[in-house]
Formats: sequence, C-alpha cells, structure tokens
Amino acid sequence: MEEELRVRLNDHQVSKVFPVKPKSTAKPVSKSETPESRYWSSFKNHSIPNLVSSVSALAFSPVHPHSLAVAHSATVSLFSSHSLSSSRRFSFRDVVSSVCFRSDGALFAACDLSGVVQVFDIKERMALRTLRSHSAPARFVKYPFQDKLHLVSGGDDGVVKYWDVAGATVISDLLGHKDYVRCGDCSPVNDSMLVTGSYDHTVKVWDTRVDKSKWIAEINHGLPVEDVVYLPSGGMIATAGGNSVKVWDLIGGGKMVCSMESHNKTVTSLCVGRMESAETRLVSVALDGYMKVFDYGRAKVTYSMRFPAPLMSLGLSPDGSTRVIGGSNGMVFAGKKKLRVVVGEKKTLSLWSVRSQVDETRRRALRPTYFRYFQRGQSEKPSEEDYLVKEKKGLKLTRHDKLLKKFRHKEALVSVLEEKKPANVVAVMEELVARRKLMKCVSNMEEGELGMLLGFLQRYCTVQRYSGLLMGLTKKVLETRAEDIKGKNEFTGLLRNLKREVNQEIRIQQSLLEIQGVIAPLMRIAGRS
Amino acid sequence: MIRGGRSYVTSPPSFSNDAKRLLVCTGNTVSVFSAATGLQITSLEGHTAPVTTLIVVPASSPAQKILCYCWTASLDGTIRHWDFSGPELLKTIDAQLPIYSMVIPSLLSEPQQIDKRCELSGKLVAFVSVEDISVVNEGSKELRGHIRRFNLAKPRVPRGDTLKETAEPESIVISPSGEFFGIRHKCKIHIWDVPSGGSRHAVSRKMTLHHTKVINAFAFHPTERVIAAGDVTGRVLIWRGFGNRKLALGNQKKKVRATVDLDNAGVRGEDDTESCTTWHWHSAEVNVLNFSSDGAYLYSGGREGVLVVWQLDTGKKKFLPRIGSPLLYFMWSPDPTLSSVVCADNQIHLLKMPSMEILRTISGIKAPPSLPRMYEGLASTVAFDRSSGIAALCTENYCVQLYNLLNDRGISEIQVCERNHQPGDEITVVVTAVALSLDGSVMSTTEVKLPEDGIGGLVSLKFWACEPDSKTFTLSTIVYEPHRDAGVSAIAFHPTRSMAVSTSFGGDFKIWVCNSDKNQTDKDSSWICHAVGSYKKKPMTAAAFSGDGTVLAVAAETVITLWNPDKNILLSVLGATLTPITKLCFAGKSEFLVAASHFPRPELSVWNTSKLSISWSYGLRVEAVTSAVDSSAFAVLAVIPKSFKTDKSKENIFRGRDGAILLFNGSDPKPVSIWTVIKAKGGSISFLEGDKSQLRLAYVNGSREYVVFDPNSDESHERSAVDYDGLAGLEETGDAGYTSLYGQLPDYDKKRMEDVDSLATPFISSERPWETIFSGSTLNFPPLQKLCAEFFESLMEKRTAVVE
Repeated sequence: MEEELRVRLNDHQVSKVFPVKPKSTAKPVSKSETPESRYWSSFKNHSIPNLVSSVSALAFSPVHPHSLAVAHSATVSLFSSHSLSSSRRFSFRDVVSSVCFRSDGALFAACDLSGVVQVFDIKERMALRTLRSHSAPARFVKYPFQDKLHLVSGGDDGVVKYWDVAGATVISDLLGHKDYVRCGDCSPVNDSMLVTGSYDHTVKVWDTRVDKSKWIAEINHGLPVEDVVYLPSGGMIATAGGNSVKVWDLIGGGKMVCSMESHNKTVTSLCVGRMESAETRLVSVALDGYMKVFDYGRAKVTYSMRFPAPLMSLGLSPDGSTRVIGGSNGMVFAGKKKLRVVVGEKKTLSLWSVRSQVDETRRRALRPTYFRYFQRGQSEKPSEEDYLVKEKKGLKLTRHDKLLKKFRHKEALVSVLEEKKPANVVAVMEELVARRKLMKCVSNMEEGELGMLLGFLQRYCTVQRYSGLLMGLTKKVLETRAEDIKGKNEFTGLLRNLKREVNQEIRIQQSLLEIQGVIAPLMRIAGRS
Repeated sequence: MIRGGRSYVTSPPSFSNDAKRLLVCTGNTVSVFSAATGLQITSLEGHTAPVTTLIVVPASSPAQKILCYCWTASLDGTIRHWDFSGPELLKTIDAQLPIYSMVIPSLLSEPQQIDKRCELSGKLVAFVSVEDISVVNEGSKELRGHIRRFNLAKPRVPRGDTLKETAEPESIVISPSGEFFGIRHKCKIHIWDVPSGGSRHAVSRKMTLHHTKVINAFAFHPTERVIAAGDVTGRVLIWRGFGNRKLALGNQKKKVRATVDLDNAGVRGEDDTESCTTWHWHSAEVNVLNFSSDGAYLYSGGREGVLVVWQLDTGKKKFLPRIGSPLLYFMWSPDPTLSSVVCADNQIHLLKMPSMEILRTISGIKAPPSLPRMYEGLASTVAFDRSSGIAALCTENYCVQLYNLLNDRGISEIQVCERNHQPGDEITVVVTAVALSLDGSVMSTTEVKLPEDGIGGLVSLKFWACEPDSKTFTLSTIVYEPHRDAGVSAIAFHPTRSMAVSTSFGGDFKIWVCNSDKNQTDKDSSWICHAVGSYKKKPMTAAAFSGDGTVLAVAAETVITLWNPDKNILLSVLGATLTPITKLCFAGKSEFLVAASHFPRPELSVWNTSKLSISWSYGLRVEAVTSAVDSSAFAVLAVIPKSFKTDKSKENIFRGRDGAILLFNGSDPKPVSIWTVIKAKGGSISFLEGDKSQLRLAYVNGSREYVVFDPNSDESHERSAVDYDGLAGLEETGDAGYTSLYGQLPDYDKKRMEDVDSLATPFISSERPWETIFSGSTLNFPPLQKLCAEFFESLMEKRTAVVE
C-alpha cells in the first residue's frame, strides 16, 4: 500500500493538455459484428449482369470445381464457380423453370414451360434425352441423391413423375396434388424418398418404392408452397410459402418445429448453407429483395442482407465458397469467398521443417557473453524475462489544437472549418464558448471566412446532433454581422439556402408535433389500461 | 474522534536542515512531512490557536545538520521552542498577545557572532508582529498591529519596545543574512537594520521605500543590498543598494551624500537606493517573491499560477507553467535540488530544482468550487464512500478529489471535465454534483457548461466505474443533456443494484441501469436509460431509494411521489409541504422518509410511508441529511436561525457556531443528541460504516475541514483535548442543549401533530384531505390557495404513471 501510494504520488501531474474532442456518439447496444454476420458478409461481390430475363433457377455441381448452372429465359448457362465466367450455353424451346445436376456432376437435367424435361451432358451441346410426358409446364426436376438413373419432375398438371432416364419412360405417376406442383426435393440420405410442394398448400412425402402412387405423409403449410428443401439430417424439411418459412419434423410425424416470418413478400427460394464451423443455416430469398439467414436450431434470424431487386432463386456452392442469388431483372448477385487453402499447405510445410526450426532456436539463443548479443538490432524481439520499458505516448495535437493552445481563437475556428469535419467544428465551437471567445471570433472574421462559416451553418444547423448550438449561433451571426452580409452577392445564395433549410425544418417539426398529438392520447389510454 | 482537512497553506512551510523533512503549519499543530514520500511523520501539538510562524533553527556547520530545533509563534500568544525529531516541547514563552509574525535575526547571522552574542548577553532577540486590542479600546486611532522586540532568552516577556504601529498586523520579512527586516505597509516598505551591538538599548534604524501601487510581497537579497517587491498589478520592482546612507554598515558612517541630484534611475523621491528597475510579466498580483540561496535568481509567482525564475543580472525568464492554482509561498531547501511551492488549493508541490519538475505533492483537502449563483445550495459537492471512509469532493479545477477521511490524506484526483483550470478566469464549466453508490464502486457526476450569450450551454451526466486495485475511477458513460436542456437537481444510487436515478428541474426523472451484467466484461459496461417518469410536469428536486431499494421517492416540488423503480409505476403521492423539497432520505430500512426544504420557509419533515402521512416537522433549515443503513437512525445538519444567534442569552452556547448536527432515531421527534458546529453552510454529513461495524458520523464543513466521530459514545474526555480548537469546535450538549436551544417542548402526541411554536407545518394528507383537514384548531387552517388546489385535486381522477 505504502509503496503503491508513493508511486502514484510520484507521477502526479498537475496539469495536462486536453485536445479538443468531438462529443462521443451513442453506440448501438447490441454488437453489430457477430461471427455469424462476419461470415455472411465476407462474400465478395461479383455480379453477373446482362442475362436476359428473370433468373428462375440456379444449381451447383456437387463435384469439384462446382460449376454453376443458371437458368434464365430459354437458356441454361454454365459458369465456372471460380472465375464466374460463362463457359457454355444450352438453349431450350421455352422458358427454363428448373435445373439440377446429377450426383457425379457429369449430367444435368432441366425442364421448361413446354412440359419437356431434358438431360444434357455438360460437355455436349445436344440433349442426351428428352422426356415428354407432362401435359402442362414442368416446374421442377430433381435427381435423387445418389441415384444416377432416375429423375423426379413435377408440373402444373399436378402430377409428380418418376422417370427412368435411360429409357426415357415414366416409371410411376405420383398423383395426389390438387393444384400446380411447384417444387420438390429428394432426401439427402435415401434415394427413394422425396417431397413435393404444391399450390394446394400441402407438401407431400413420397416413397418411390411404394408403387401405389399414394403419398406416405402430408403437411399443410397454410399457403401456396413456393419451395421445399430437405435439411441435411434428412429427417426435417423446410418449406417456403407466402411470407413465411417453416421447418417441419418428418420423423416426428410432420410437426412444425419453428417458423420464420421476417420477410415482407413471398419467399421464392430456400437453400441450406454450411458455415465454417460445420453448422448449417437455412438461407432464404424473397421478392422483397432480402436474403435472410435463419438459424433453425435457435429459431433466430442471424443475418439479413438487402439486394436491389426482387430475388427469384438462390444457390450455395457445396464447398461454401460461392453464394449466388438470381434476381428478377436478370442480374445474378454472386459472392465469392477466399478459400483458406494456404493454411493447409503451411501445416504440411511445418511438418517437414521441424528439424530446421529446432536448429534455428539453438542458433538464436543469445548470451551476454556472445558477441552477437551486442549486435542485436532494433527489430530484436524481447525475450520473456526482459523488462519492457514502456515509452510514454505522445499526445497528437491537431492544427486547431495547437492554435487554441496559443490562444489564436479565430484562426483555430477557421482552420477547423477548412477541415470539413462537422463534429470537430462543433467541438472547437464548444471550447470557444467555454473560453467565452466564440462571439469575438465571429465578429473578427473576414469576408471569406464568414462565407465559410455561413456555408457550414447552412449545411449543419438543422442536423439534430448539432442544432442545439448551431441554431443559436446562426441567429447571432446573422445579427452581429448583418451589415457585412447585407447586399453581398456571394452571400445571397447561402442565405437563400439557409432560409430554405430553416423553413423545411420548421415544417418537419410541425408535422412531428401533429404526430405527437395523435399518439399522445393513445399512449395515455395504453398507460391507463 | 478524527479531525482533519486543515489548511496547509496558512503560513509558509519550512524545510529541516537536512532537507528530508518539511514542516507545515496545520491549524493548531505543526505537521512534519517526509520530503521523500510526502507522508506525514509526526506533528507538534501544544498551541491552542493557529500557528502563524515557523522558524527552523538553521545549521551553522555541517555537523549541526542533524539538529532539529524550531521556534513557533501562534495566535494564542505563546512562542514555543521545539525539538521536532522527538517531538518534544523545550520551552514556552508567553507573549500575551496574538502573534501574527515573528523573525529571529540572530539565528541567521554568522555562527561565531551568535556564539559571541549568546556568551555576551545570553539573549535571543526576536521581532514580532502582534495584535494589541487593548490599545484600540483606549486609543482613538485603530492601530492594532504592532511590531515589537522581544527577548526570547527570558522565560516571560513583558511588553517589548514598539517599533511601528499599523492598522492591521503585518507579516515581517527578514533578509537571509539576518541584517535587515521589514514590513510592507500599503505602498511602502519599512526596513530596519538589526542592531549589531547586541545591547538591549541599541535602537535599530529605519528607512522607507515608496511605490505608487500597493505592495503585495517583497524579499531581501541574501548577500547584497537588493530588495525585490511585487505589487498588485503584477510588477516586480528591484531596488539595488538600499540604505547606503541611512543604514550604513556598522558605525563607520560614510560620507553622507549631499548631492541628491545624482541620477538614480527610477528611484522615487528621496528614497535611499541607487537604482530601481521594474520587471513586468505577471498579469495579476504577485504573491510570491524569493531569491535563490546564492542570489543569482529571483522566483516570483502570483495569481495566474505560474512560477517565474528571473536571472537577476539579465532579467531572463524561465517558467513553470500550469500549476493550476494561485501560488502562495516558495521555499528553497538546504538541499539545492529540492524546493517547494505552496498553492492556494491546499497543495504543497515539491520541485526538483534546476529542472523545476514536480516531484511529488503533499495534498490537503481542496477548497470547494465557487459555484455560480443559481447553483448555490443545490449542488452536492461532497459524497462519501461509507465503507472505506473516503470522501469524493468536487474541486475548483474540474476534478473530483478522493480524500481518505480516516488517514487525512488525498488519494487521487479524477479529471471530470477535460479542461485545464486557470485561476482567475471566468467560470464557464462547473461540476455541480457528485454521488457515490453505497458500495463505492460507481461514481456519478454532473457538470454544466454555462452558455455564452445564450448559446452553447450543455449539461452532462457522467458515470464512473471504480478500479478496485488503484482506487481511482474511469469513465464509463457520458450522457449529454440527460434531461434535455434542464439541469440535473439530484442523483441517487440504488442501495444494492447498479441502478441510479437523476432528477431534473425540467420536470422528469430518469432511472439509469448498468448493462454490465449481461456482457460480463467490465470494459463494455455502460449505463442506459431504463425508465422516464414525471408527475404533473412539476420540477423534480430530490430523490432517494428506500433501504431495500424497492421504493423510489422523488420530490416533485412540494409533494413526494413514491415509485416502483423496476416497473416505473407511481405507487402513491405524499401530501404537500409548504415549500419545495430539496433533500430526501429514507431513515435506514424503516418506513420513515425525511424531507428537507429551504426557500422561502425552511422545513424539516418526517413522513411515514406506510401510513402516507406526516409524522412530525420542524422549521429548521437543513443543509444535509444522512441515515444509517441498518438502524433507523438519521442525522441532519441544520443551520441555526439568526434569531437564535443574536439572542444575548444564548450567545455563550453557540460561541460563534452557526450550525448543529441533530441525531434522531426513527419516528421520535426528540433528537438523541445534538452537536453544535461552525461553518455549517455548505457542509455535509454522512454515516460511515467501517469493517468494525462501528457507526461513525463524518461532518465536512463549508470550508472542508472535517471531523469523524462516534455518535453513540460519550466523547467528553476527548472533547477536552479538542475543545481549544477554535476552527471546528464540537460540543456534546445532549438534551440539555436542545431545551436551551428551542425552549421546553410541549408534550407530544405522536398520532396527531400539534403546532410547535409555529415551527411545524399544518398537516395535510394528500390522499383524503377532507377528512383530516378541519380536525385541528381553526388557527391552523391551511391558506386558501392551498385548500383550493387540494380541493380540485380531490375532485379529479388521479393519474398514474406518465410513460413517455
């Protein structure tokens, strides 16, 4: 205690220099930066413009290098997911509604609004197979999880078809939907399980092994279903319809686990995203232009991002490096992440260099008896037992601080006005008020400086944070320097703008008062009850 | 009983011969501080009035450096000789007159001369400045100050020879060589030389130097015949070669220069000097003048708080700026690398000499800030940490000083506003209030930036978090304009949780909570507004949490509103006092609520919150209220009304004391005990609860002297030890004192309050006024205006909490 007290008394300093600081502003209570948001905002923007019309479907190849198929208008374009450059185009007779890669990534299937499902080799221009059976526009096509020989498709005729691709024949028609079938997904754990969603508000679960064309389970979303996905466990599905996204437990008998209703318009597409920590999130896009990341484990929206167009489709590459979103204006909002391959390489390197490192530490051990000990340079790192003498941090003084220190008040005000940082200007003005020198500064200003001050006042006097000081100051400046301002051409524009700003502010205040008048009785009633 | 907070700066301090100790006059005692640590070592106790002069007997040879003798003179009329290494009182000489200043020239003379003189005559001549009131009563002229010569060798001094009479006692300045001494008197300096013969009747010769301005300070050069004087305008005058004619050396009279027309530059009139030069740097009065020990430099300082070092031959200057307080004294020490400068804010800075760095500071309690008119009586500039006995005091230089009342020393200072204080500048920023939470972990301050021409005013509220290891506070949250542009009237902390309430004159109060519980990290903890409340848009003037923290009482001018602080629900309203309430306090954990109001009619009232009615009240002006945490005892600091003080019969009871501390217990209107105190205005009291579960009461008076005592034990034995202390005498008078103060009380009926000599207020319960309002005597009816408001209020529907 005694010792410590002495130390403190010793560094007693009577008086210090305090630089003029702007008032600190309120910080948000919640942290803006969470690991989650950092992950989702770290996709670097690469837009693919100039696609003709609305991007109706996106699909990533399940195998490396995860090439991307984009369905827009009557075309499917293949992009490489690394450079996001177009590599190949496939044309259709009608607007393509859905596209899907086979599990080995060698083939993809696509369906169009003429009701035709076509299968392409990604390296060849012509279709390998053309499957015709739908009597209305086909809306979705899916390869089962590992199965390379079959396809599932559905369409506006309300029929879900299970195809044998090689023979181009329908194995079974799955009947049951009473309205357009718009979406479907195949189970990620079982080749024969699939779900389909329809505009009759229901999602039906099918098993292709049961040949009675009867669904094995049904859940009711309550709204026309726009998209349905299996969650990675295969026991849960997520459905999108209307403004809501719902998560259902299939194994538990089709019970709803949670729902997310933070979109303002129809949710168009869902996708399962995998984070770095191997956690999965449900990502949804909607016509309101928002992409939302939903943590269905905690039933919480963890990230939200806005795009400048209604969003139609969504795709996340299986390695998590690319995120693509298709807009209704033909824009593909792609985002790419830097992959951390380098880390792995380094690790392998260090495995080999263990020996050399040991050598190095032995070499580097320095003793005061060595000659090298005295040749250490500035970059020498302190060892553990070294006592670090901390250098006193010098105080950084800005130009106006130095001028204020010399009591050159007007010059300080002018120099800070030149800086164009309103918070600093207001801080200097407050300091001048505390020194009782602000009005003197104003009355001493020359014409050009006065113009600068008026320009500043015109721009910022109605800003809420500064208006308490600046409104009064504006009035004082106009009063004290009236004869200098009057009749000068260079000031007329400024004065006109100032007047307009003030009038606008008065209007805003009036309308706010009106709103308050409306709200106050309501609040009172609420308080009473 | 602990006493402290005395001023260190009433008279110049003095270094011991080895420069390791610094002797400081502190009230009636002389405190000895270590120059190496800045902590107090010992004190010389014995004087019964403030010590005015302190002379350390200088060492004439290196071997004598260990000698620790000093002379002190005091207003109690005694001169004492001490050995301060002991400390031991060696000798007491009774001069019978209050001594304001004393010099002993022979101590400073050459050693062989001293020996010779002592051998010759056994005499020690001192020149003293005394105040002789007896002369005033007889004589027509009011010349109370006398300069006299005493012989200290004799045990008892009769009246000495009077050299000069002045209106007020002046302080005597002696030259370091011991040859001359002098006093300043308005625009003149009178100088005498010390008769070297040593005979009693050798008359010392006198000369006078004139100036056109009032001289504030002067100093003699250590070797040459040079005098430096500083005046009220900030000029420093250097007279060289004074007294060549009148005070010629020895008896070998030189030829008197008949030719006065010799061109003596700058010399006024017939003054006996060779030349006079003027240096002007100081913008305000010069208070400090001192030559360096070798005579090459002159130190000067004044109100602006800058120590200036002049090179005597060239007039070149060096500065130690930004000391932040007017300088009072500058003392160099026998050690050439150490000197000290004494500031008006009760700080003694020890300087490392050639570089003039401040080595360390002996920090006394700082003076209260001078507040602008509108904040007088409303500001609470003292807060107490009850467990550790630390007081947080607002100071002039925008700081909060943490002062340990139990050890009587300053701990640290916290810069509340990031500004440098310049003494003498116009006050533009004021720290108006400081509050500490019950456990001392959170401090809250409010400051007001006064507007210039109506623009740029700013009120801000700051919350500070304690750093437990270093006992200082770091800023956690700033709230600008917490109640729009209205001032903050009071801050109160929740007794157990991190919650605070601030009330404003603008008609609302805000409850603040700390959100550190969620984040776990202390650094991110911040205070956010939890709730806002208001009651009929009345100015909120005071606030207090109940002992368990479940009820928040907020005074809305004359009524007290009780709230649930968590849900922000108005629980009930306690009826009206006559005047706006300024202080609120719950009496411990009991249901009693103490309210005090000032203007225009002072009142102290105690309310029962369970019955929602007043229990009793007095017409006392209360400066401060405090209550114990565990018991229902509370104490108030009351200012004694003028009518009592002027009463002749009660004069000896008060003896110049203007305040009283009254200790009450719960609902009992009879005080348990009473102590009378001085300088109660602006004073503050608090209970201190240490680890020893000992309840103590701390009282800090208006000029920041304090006393800590146990209110329950009879301290009469200690009273005798401290009663001589004229600064803040306390007296245990008990009930006898109470009756002598206020006369015999009529018998109390506690259920229903009777009027006690017009001290009590008419009793009005706000809830159902019509049942009780007419129950008393007709003479006690409330005024019609009061009734009218109550009547209409009773007709209207009661509004619950106003949520914004």
